[in-house]
Amino acid sequence: MARFIVRRLLVAIPVLLGLSVILFLFLRLLPGSGPAVAILGQHATPQLIAQITAVEGLDKPLYVQYFDYLGRLLHGDFGASFIDGREVAATFLVRFPATVELTIGAMIFAVGLGIPLGRLAARHPDSWIDGVVTVISLFGISIPVFVLGYTLAFIFGVELHWLPTFGQLDPRLPINPVTHFAIIDAILAGHWYVIDAVSHLILPSIALGTIPLAVFTRITRASVIDVSNEDYVRTARAKGLTERRVNSRHIMRNAWLPVTTVIGLETGALLAGAVLTETVFTWNGVGSWVVSSIENHDYIVVQSLILIFATIFLTVNLIVDVGYAFLNPRIRYG
Amino acid sequence: MRNKLGPLLAIAVLAAAACGSSATPVPATSGPTAITPTTAPTTAPTSAVTATPASTAVEGGSMVYALNGDMALADPSLVSDGNSLFVEAQVVQGLLGLQPGTISTVIPVLAAALPTVSSDGLTYTFTLRTGIQFQDGTPFNADAVVFNYKRWQNYPAGDLQTDAYYYGAVFGGFGTNSNVASVSAPDEQTFVITLKTPQSNFELASTLAVFGIQSPTALQKGNADSTPIAQNKYAQGQLPQGQDMVGTGPFIFKEWVPTDHITLVKNPNYWDAANAAHLDQVTFKPFGDSTATLQALQSGGVDAAFSISPLDVKTAQSSGLTIIDRGASCNQLNLDMNQSVGGKATIYANKNVRLAVAEAVNKQSYVDAFYSGLGKVPTGFMPPATAGFKAETLPAYSVSQAKADLSASGVTGSALNIDLYYPSNVVRPYMPDPKGIATAIANDLTAVGFTVTLKTEDWGPSYIPDATAGKLPLYLFGWTCDWAGADNFLYTAWFGYQNGKPNPQFGWANAQANTDMTQALQATTTDAANALWGQVQDLLAQDVPTVPIVNSQPPGAYSSKVHGYVGASNGIEYLNTVWLSQ
Repeated sequence: MARFIVRRLLVAIPVLLGLSVILFLFLRLLPGSGPAVAILGQHATPQLIAQITAVEGLDKPLYVQYFDYLGRLLHGDFGASFIDGREVAATFLVRFPATVELTIGAMIFAVGLGIPLGRLAARHPDSWIDGVVTVISLFGISIPVFVLGYTLAFIFGVELHWLPTFGQLDPRLPINPVTHFAIIDAILAGHWYVIDAVSHLILPSIALGTIPLAVFTRITRASVIDVSNEDYVRTARAKGLTERRVNSRHIMRNAWLPVTTVIGLETGALLAGAVLTETVFTWNGVGSWVVSSIENHDYIVVQSLILIFATIFLTVNLIVDVGYAFLNPRIRYG
Repeated sequence: MRNKLGPLLAIAVLAAAACGSSATPVPATSGPTAITPTTAPTTAPTSAVTATPASTAVEGGSMVYALNGDMALADPSLVSDGNSLFVEAQVVQGLLGLQPGTISTVIPVLAAALPTVSSDGLTYTFTLRTGIQFQDGTPFNADAVVFNYKRWQNYPAGDLQTDAYYYGAVFGGFGTNSNVASVSAPDEQTFVITLKTPQSNFELASTLAVFGIQSPTALQKGNADSTPIAQNKYAQGQLPQGQDMVGTGPFIFKEWVPTDHITLVKNPNYWDAANAAHLDQVTFKPFGDSTATLQALQSGGVDAAFSISPLDVKTAQSSGLTIIDRGASCNQLNLDMNQSVGGKATIYANKNVRLAVAEAVNKQSYVDAFYSGLGKVPTGFMPPATAGFKAETLPAYSVSQAKADLSASGVTGSALNIDLYYPSNVVRPYMPDPKGIATAIANDLTAVGFTVTLKTEDWGPSYIPDATAGKLPLYLFGWTCDWAGADNFLYTAWFGYQNGKPNPQFGWANAQANTDMTQALQATTTDAANALWGQVQDLLAQDVPTVPIVNSQPPGAYSSKVHGYVGASNGIEYLNTVWLSQ
């Protein structure tokens, strides 16, 4: 197992390097008048463009710019935004916890509801229960996130006043952002402020988790039905095992494999930022940051974030692969 | 207001604009804001920002205020964007300010009176209020003012000069390029600033929040001039309360969590007790989406929002929200016609074509459709409340007259196939729906004989540079005032010559207008300056190099809990007057 993990990590290095080169070149070929003009905006003049270009090193050959960037990266320096001058790493540490919280909330919702629904549908295939679950999953996949988000906010925030519609915490509460994980900071602040943090998480988690919920429901249903028809399941039943034991030991353990893969992929994708959900709920995560950086041609931020996201994605997939070994003893890594 | 790093061009533009004035704006003495004007030196603490009878106000409470975006930097001298200036104006005060609710009525704030001006228009002498302390407990006096003015003037080239856009724009540059010859403090109460050449916009431009006086002690301790800015903790607002963004205002800067919130708390020792803040705390929350802002208002999550979409105004009102009354507009959307693109004359070099365009557009229909009643058809070439404004007879909407002028132009055939540009990925206060407005204009132009192709470019990366470089022939463009003076609209933003040549944005060559503008900036009296600005506007009306489309009042809103809010269309509103009912 250790050799497998080390091998995967070594493979990740050229993947990330290759990605960084592609990103570096691709971003500089975007339409527009270049990074210096993006910085100077409305009143860019040739003189000022030249000045900014010199200060930021934009006049150096591309490969020099790239290796400068890579060198800084290896020293843990992700650079600073062209637009606001802030360190990418510092802003990331503030915003990424919010995205992690939202991802966890969405996955709790999606896994907690999607897998039981999928199992339920699989146990009653082609029944009315299966039909209802299918409709729910189709609804989840087809409704645009921003429509669902605004609708949830309107119903539960504007009309019913049950839940907040924006942010991670009530700005009025005296909670110090220590970790930038709102729930942890709220616990640290005491006074049951954690209830406020959780209430802020509910609507965006539902909005963000609805598509994964639908996916998990369908994958679980299909996987459980497939496994249920396997010979070893029939054998287990023939041996007189209880239905509960058949389900837990023989069906679900095997059905988990594709479900786990999808959960891993979805988690990796959500950690890379839920752009629409974060925008609708003014959630201070990395998703909206990526979009605004792309719009502003803020090259250093975009490069750094996509590399970070790729790293996260590779890591999550590695964890999923390792998780296979625990779920299925037949899988061994050498 | 503009983007943080953007408009350094105006530095060069204004380098030629050193002018003078003995203008003495007279503060209004009545009205809902109940200003207490000060016209003579006084040592009595009389605040410039009074609004609500204190007897009706509820003290305390915490307000959540939705901004359009985040603050850029915590040092007001280094910002030029509206979000930063709005927040920082609550904390840091200047010698002069604007009467709340107005855009061009100058009043003394930290000065005890408006300055006296020497006969040559070069030397301004301010008598300062006494007994004022900065929020860190250090004294406010003339030495502190001198420290701040010298700091700004001596910003080194690089990050600091780039960010300190407004100083460069107002004084024509930094160091020896600055129009400031000297600053001095003859005594604790007297600050003297001497200019190299007279500058008629001096007092009005001095009301900008960027000229707020900060505690020299805090600036020095916080190493506020260090670069790069990204590592400058003072500018990044990361120092503890009382050590960062230290001014004399009714609120104290408490904390800034970038991209998440900014918190101000009441200054318990505010120098003007009668006008101290009612609120204990204000938290500014940046929103990036207008629907989310509206829902946050409707749900009670935020108490007020600086901006909502004009399309949401009726919904907001039906939800019990109050639309901020921002009074007279301080912006203008134009349909700009460039007479020379790429060195070649366009069809807009033909005056009859320009007249046809101006007569074809049904401005009132745009105001009705896109501004929810919060806009007016312009009556001149800048907002009517701007100092130096002169109403002009602009071409009226007339399809038949437009057709006649187009016919008289002699332009026919494929030459009437025109491109109309609008920006994408942006909403501006004067342009809430760029595509919608452009589509409506295109329909009107089509009706008189043009064949219009709509084109768009991304606002920041492409549209602005292309428009200002003179690459767009017909396009939507506007301006929100930095200060509400004629020079800010007519000269800085639009028609001032650059390096001796017409602004490529318009290709409008009119040497007389440029001379008049230069002389107006150097006039020694307000009347003389305004007469010259009037001549410039007459020339514009004769030549019609652009079509003014709308002067809008960008809508903001607040909940029924909010009282004492005084709006202003220049985007600077003071929250010391605001209180929350229970």
